[in-house]
Amino acid sequence: MARLSRSGQKPGKRSAKRLILFVFIFGAAALVVAQSAPQIRHFFDPVRTVAGDRLGGNDSVTLWARVTGQVARERRIKDLEAEVRELSRYKAAAISMAERLEAYENILNLMGEPPVRGVTARVTAESDGPFAQTLLANAGRAQGVEPGAIAVNEGGLVGRVIQLGELSSRILLITDFNSRVPVMGEVSGVRAILYGGRDGLGSLTDLPERSGFIEGERILTSAEGGAFPRGLVVGEARLLSGEWRVKYGMAKRSGGYVQMVPPPMIEAPEPVATLPQAEETDAPAQASAAQGVRQ
Amino acid sequence: MAKRTSGRQRKSLWSQSGPTPRLLFGAFAIAAVGLLGLTPKTLFGLSIAWPYAALWGAVGWGRVGLSLRPMLLLIVFGLIQDISFNAPFGCFVIVNLVVYGFSAWIASMFDVMNEPLVAVVAPVLQFISGFLVLWLLASALEDHAVRATPLLAALLTTGVIYAMSHRLFDLGRTPGQQVGQAT
Repeated sequence: MARLSRSGQKPGKRSAKRLILFVFIFGAAALVVAQSAPQIRHFFDPVRTVAGDRLGGNDSVTLWARVTGQVARERRIKDLEAEVRELSRYKAAAISMAERLEAYENILNLMGEPPVRGVTARVTAESDGPFAQTLLANAGRAQGVEPGAIAVNEGGLVGRVIQLGELSSRILLITDFNSRVPVMGEVSGVRAILYGGRDGLGSLTDLPERSGFIEGERILTSAEGGAFPRGLVVGEARLLSGEWRVKYGMAKRSGGYVQMVPPPMIEAPEPVATLPQAEETDAPAQASAAQGVRQ
Repeated sequence: MAKRTSGRQRKSLWSQSGPTPRLLFGAFAIAAVGLLGLTPKTLFGLSIAWPYAALWGAVGWGRVGLSLRPMLLLIVFGLIQDISFNAPFGCFVIVNLVVYGFSAWIASMFDVMNEPLVAVVAPVLQFISGFLVLWLLASALEDHAVRATPLLAALLTTGVIYAMSHRLFDLGRTPGQQVGQAT
């Protein structure tokens, strides 16, 4: 009679199952390694976006919520929250405009930025695991969210859309280690690059050697690189053990909603060949862009 | 006259149910806890460390030895976790299966059902190994040492809740095995 193990399985059967377990583990490991190639990683993007749509896009009201009057209460809360969000947006817009006005005064003939259009969405899932810190919001391409859209909430900048589904968007938080945001001090004007720290505060890199931030001053986006609009509130500067850190503004009030505004669009400059040559024009005294390039 | 009582103790429905209903019930519990964990989790302004529910299954189901059905369920849960945590596909599958295999290996080496010390120490070691594998995988794939604090908090909640609800994930015997076959 075949000897049974402690778990009551025959040795042959047990080794077959052990083999299956190893095959599964190695299969999963091969899948993980294969995804280091961007082409293969992008191959799985539709799966993620469809799953995100299922998780984030479902906003149905249950019968129980209707019976208990929870729907009416939630509607009232939503109205009030919308009002607060609207007011907070005005506040953020005022800070942003004041900062921008100063820049306009300094630089003449500056092109104005287009008015902010945005989609407000509810945060339906968030992951605080060891991988990228992201949020899932229940608005996607169908609601007018654009790839690379900027997410803000009542406290300030939240992050950037990194994955866009039909009904959902995944937002990479500015608290993530891999996130990079060009920022500046509101008063000092010192520029730096912000990335997520491990202790819940933002870390700054590429700081100038001589000048520093002012303790407690507001940190705003500087719009360098063109990924973020200028003047969005990111947080406050803190000097901790001789190192400048950023206390995030969005962490103060996370109301469960984010507004996703389109990323700033900077038109690519026209190629030099298509511009009119200075010799061909009747007014030789006027300097052309092509001349600027030659110099 | 003294009431005549039966010599046998009345058995609960759970003790009478086989491994397949137990497996399904445990899977349902894991799915429910996992789905709840997707929503933003704050209590009085403090964020809650949500447990990694699939590890309960990996630890509990592995105690009766290896079987195909729990493995497939753990793969499915792992893939769902990969999507919800925005991890590369396969990461959580590896974690779940490694813990499951470790649990089954410990069960084959020691008496995890009757030895009180082993019954306590084994799940602790299995959870720690699971989170260690997860931390190593995440750090290797993200190209930097990822934060350990949220993982430790999740490890604590996962362990504490498992200590209270481990019976839910006790299959009694391997799925597919006949009654009386197990020792």
